[in-house]
Amino acid sequence: MSARDRILAAIRAARPAPLPPAEAIAAEAAALLDAPESVRPRPVEEVLAAEFVRKASALGTSFDHLPDRAAIPLAVKRYLDTHGLPPALALQPAPALAALDWTDIDTHDTVAPDQAAALGLALWGIAETGSLVIHSGADAPILLSFLPLHHIVVLEERSLLPHLEDYAARMAGQPQPRNAILITGPSGTTDIEGSYVRGAHGPGFLHILMIGG
Amino acid sequence: MNAPQQGFKERADAALKNAVLKIAIDRTTGNAERKRAVAIAAFPEFQAARARGRAIKDHVIAHLDHYLEMFERNATAAGATVHWASDDAEARAIITRICLEADAKLVTRAKSMLGEEIGLPHALADAGIERVETDLAEHIIQLAGERPSHIVWPAMHRTREQVAILFKEAHHPPPAADDPATMVQSARRELRAKFLGADVGISGANFLVADTGATCTVTNEGNAELTTTPPRIHIVTAGIEKLVPSTAHAFALLRLLVRSATGGEMTQYTTFHCGPKRPGDADGPEEMHIVLVDNGRTRMLADEFRPMLRCIRCGACMNHCVVYRQIGGHAYGGTYPGPMGAVLTPVLDGLAQSRDLPHACTMNGRCAEVCPVEIPLPTLLRAWRTRSWRERLEPRSVRAALGLWAMAARRPWLYLLGSRIGVRALRLFGRRGWIGSLPLAGGWTAYRDMPRPSGRTFMEQYRAGQAGRAGQTGRETRK
Repeated sequence: MSARDRILAAIRAARPAPLPPAEAIAAEAAALLDAPESVRPRPVEEVLAAEFVRKASALGTSFDHLPDRAAIPLAVKRYLDTHGLPPALALQPAPALAALDWTDIDTHDTVAPDQAAALGLALWGIAETGSLVIHSGADAPILLSFLPLHHIVVLEERSLLPHLEDYAARMAGQPQPRNAILITGPSGTTDIEGSYVRGAHGPGFLHILMIGG
Repeated sequence: MNAPQQGFKERADAALKNAVLKIAIDRTTGNAERKRAVAIAAFPEFQAARARGRAIKDHVIAHLDHYLEMFERNATAAGATVHWASDDAEARAIITRICLEADAKLVTRAKSMLGEEIGLPHALADAGIERVETDLAEHIIQLAGERPSHIVWPAMHRTREQVAILFKEAHHPPPAADDPATMVQSARRELRAKFLGADVGISGANFLVADTGATCTVTNEGNAELTTTPPRIHIVTAGIEKLVPSTAHAFALLRLLVRSATGGEMTQYTTFHCGPKRPGDADGPEEMHIVLVDNGRTRMLADEFRPMLRCIRCGACMNHCVVYRQIGGHAYGGTYPGPMGAVLTPVLDGLAQSRDLPHACTMNGRCAEVCPVEIPLPTLLRAWRTRSWRERLEPRSVRAALGLWAMAARRPWLYLLGSRIGVRALRLFGRRGWIGSLPLAGGWTAYRDMPRPSGRTFMEQYRAGQAGRAGQTGRETRK
């Protein structure tokens, strides 16, 4: 008997009645998601973007609001200058970013182990928690979001979702990426005496370029 | 498992004598308790969310085989290889085999309590594979050669000064100062090359999502993604109770988990891993293996410890436990400390080895009050006490004392006589209202004082009260 058979047999032996049909189990599981507003926090701000900024700022994320994507390179340059960083950037190899005018910044699509700054795209923002959503893919390396000290992320305001369940609903029944990551503030740790330190192994700075309104 | 040599009493005694340990425990658990209280106060829906979380876990536990098979199907379809292990030895064998077949020299690991439970660190060492713990706290205890003392803050028993000594010896260059920020920077520098040079990355899972086949980890440092992305192979170890029906169910539990663990609303990184690197993907492992571990869980399913399978490993029970806060995690001697550990360790290591743990509880009920999935921890601890008595595991002195007490309890006159003598005798040891030392009870009074008794038993006071009230009632009716 394999371990798999032993485990499944032990589970079945512990149940007095036979397993209900799959549809009945699915219906019971779905009912456990009913009335989501009764089991999740209520937003403070009425406007989605305001709530997102409120939640993300509380975690130490900084913001720059831009009218359109064309304004991205200049905003990045401004950020690098403010932090005393050289005009160099690991750029997510996405067409939307490559198409921009990068004359003033030395961009490359590889990310170094001690990368100072990187720029990527978020697919969605979640207002409830101030989280950014990224997915792995051909034009989306995961290390781009973890190796740099400064992580700059482009987020379209129209991609904001109110709650965590809204993201789950977007992805239900869809092909799943290898990695789906909700990034909520810069990396941090409280492992030494419970005192909070930013920039543990991941980025110590998270900066969002919010596009449109 | 590598159970400590001494017994629980010796370990607890040593912990109580360690003043530095007490400071370290207070700093972390005190912080955790305060932050959780703030987070719960800001979430009025918490009690409803808690009931929902419990219902989700109960639903999964009731249909565990259904969800395990669904998860296996979907994870396999995503390209992962699913392994099953009945116990810790099988799990170790599977993981070691995968590493050896891949000719792995260096393994990075992101913190997982299940990995500790199955003895993974030793198994890798025995197989001659270099293991690098990447979570900061795990890095600290790896350098110290210790086991975790808390399930969320494994190195909480160490002060910053103690950490600095470890880092100065192990890091090249050593950290320039011993403030937490400088030391975190030093660990970041030290571990970078390990992340990128590893052959295998091993992580745990907070949730296994049945309908997508994804595993979900929640972390704050970013070390988990740096552990699971660069190596050629990613191995996930997870207990079979970690299943949830869907991503939305995982989110419902996540709201409870993070608030209860750290007082935050969301961990910095909530990551779903669904199979290995896809064709064309910019990065990611070539292989993903998921090891589903039973190790006593199906046994719990069949007995009174079933509610313990709801546990989402937040650590709130230990942060709020008066016993844990005095003795810390190592005194418990098992993988899991505190109230949840006192319930789980007898399952994992056997009751005969760990019968002291269910007794190390005041039954004040704080753990059950803060548990985000309503596990009746004191009830489960009492169940272990009952079982220990029935299986005649209690030492002769305890059995004799309880036998004597039971004999007296069945003879009210004898009991009253005994307690009358007792309370009067105890008064002789009292100073200024408190008893600071007692013959034959030095172990108890060394760390505690007992209020000096009034000198009369409850029954004596009750009778006096009754007599007084009879007189009073007479006066009241005349008003």
